[in-house]
Amino acid sequence: MASNVYTNLTPAANLDKKTLNKMVWRSLNLQGSFNYERMQANGWLYGILPGLLAIHGEGSEDLKTSMAHNLEFFNTHPFLVTFVMGIVLSLEQQKADVGTIRAVRVAAMGPLGGIGDAIFWFTLVPIAAGIGSNMAIDGSIAGPIVFLALFNIVQFAVRFFLMHWSYNLGTKAIELLTANAKEFTRAASLLGVFVVGALTSNYGGTALSADLTLENGTTIQSILDGVLPKMIPLALTLGLYFLMKTKGWTPVKCIAALLVLGLVGAFFGIF
Amino acid sequence: MDFSILQIVLVFLWVFIIGIDQFDLLESLYQPIVSGAVIGAILGDLPTGLVVGGTYQLMTIGNMPVGGAQPPNAVIGGVMAVVFAIGSDMEIDAAMGLAVPFAVVGQYMVTLLFTAMSPMMSVADKMAEKGDHKGIVRLNYLAMGILGLAFATVCTLGLIGGKAMGEGLQAAFDAVPWLMTGLSAAGGMMRFVGFATLLRIMLSNDHWGIYFAGFTMATIIGYIPALSGSALVLIAFVGIALALSDFQTGVAIKNVTANGNGGDDDGI
Repeated sequence: MASNVYTNLTPAANLDKKTLNKMVWRSLNLQGSFNYERMQANGWLYGILPGLLAIHGEGSEDLKTSMAHNLEFFNTHPFLVTFVMGIVLSLEQQKADVGTIRAVRVAAMGPLGGIGDAIFWFTLVPIAAGIGSNMAIDGSIAGPIVFLALFNIVQFAVRFFLMHWSYNLGTKAIELLTANAKEFTRAASLLGVFVVGALTSNYGGTALSADLTLENGTTIQSILDGVLPKMIPLALTLGLYFLMKTKGWTPVKCIAALLVLGLVGAFFGIF
Repeated sequence: MDFSILQIVLVFLWVFIIGIDQFDLLESLYQPIVSGAVIGAILGDLPTGLVVGGTYQLMTIGNMPVGGAQPPNAVIGGVMAVVFAIGSDMEIDAAMGLAVPFAVVGQYMVTLLFTAMSPMMSVADKMAEKGDHKGIVRLNYLAMGILGLAFATVCTLGLIGGKAMGEGLQAAFDAVPWLMTGLSAAGGMMRFVGFATLLRIMLSNDHWGIYFAGFTMATIIGYIPALSGSALVLIAFVGIALALSDFQTGVAIKNVTANGNGGDDDGI
């Protein structure tokens, strides 16, 4: 059973610039092992490993504890992830309570998704690709080069800046918060639970097939929406929660059950 | 269309890289504007590559991978459009049309891989328990390699087999329509396992109301299309307000208790 408190509570030395920069480079592969269950979790852990190794030390119990909780569900905007990295590493370095680190991680990852989409997909790519494409269509090799240069200069500036900025910010903020550590942990978990509730609705796209209708053409899904919108994502999340908690279901068993549910449901035209 | 062995190998290598790049690396090499030019150069017709790549790019600008949704796969689509435009000497529109089945197959492969990687997370859990950090790194690179290999294989088959290959592959998937629908549906539900795991760890009994409050907030904002981009930011504002208030109250109570008889300088 993973413990909730690190055994070595002496704060580790500050991470040097080299380690922070190494993690910026690793942050490029955040989505390397992306999957539907935990999304970027394994890529996230892969990214911060250099820092965790420097903080907790090879082979230590604390490294195992830290790796285990950093492998929980994670999803944020790939270009802004270094912001979460910096702040989580500052907490790891101070040997904050695992519950606190988890809560801060969950609370930080959610909102960045919307901000990143607005900056990158709605603004930077349309501008850079728009300029580049018109040059390319006119037959100029400068088109793809201009696009790559514009996009990557912004991308790397953002990645490096956020990592160093948020790490320093986190290191400073913690000194203020240690005086009220217990209250802070409680408040941060509250925010984390609030975000998970929001994600249940926001990321929960599961709906019944539009072909499932009553005789008068009303879809079953619209009837469900009339009772409670996003009812299926909520019911599934709570159902899995209780199966894990009371029946001791493992994540793998839950995934297998959902796979069967999805395939059987699709076979009978429910999804 | 006849291509030399060298050309086929180079296309295979390039697609291997951009198959990974669509989610990792620079996340920009895969864009049709870049990829079209590279494929054009490999196949000996850079100008056509530039024009097709640029045209395909303009078409995909409205089709970004926003919020985790899978748009038609621009990686394979862009590559195959250039291959057909050069190899079969076609009009750009016709080439892009023939590339569509490949783009659909690309999308299916992404769904398959993201599903297959879900149970792998329990392997990762065991590595974490043992502190096997090298295993985590290997797993990340392994998944990237599989994705690149799958994309490179499909594009190479298309390069050799032509348009019949794309139609054949898509037909094979479409023969069992419930399979891909079912996998997508199951894939869409698997994130709830991740949420349930987080809840199991984070949720103390007095936070149940907060969970439903977050759900409600997101559902209401979700029904307002204009807020689709800023939804999670707005939700975070409300969540931070709740957390801040809880923190301040908690600190105030602690100070009052510490003062013994409920000091008079620090009331709530």
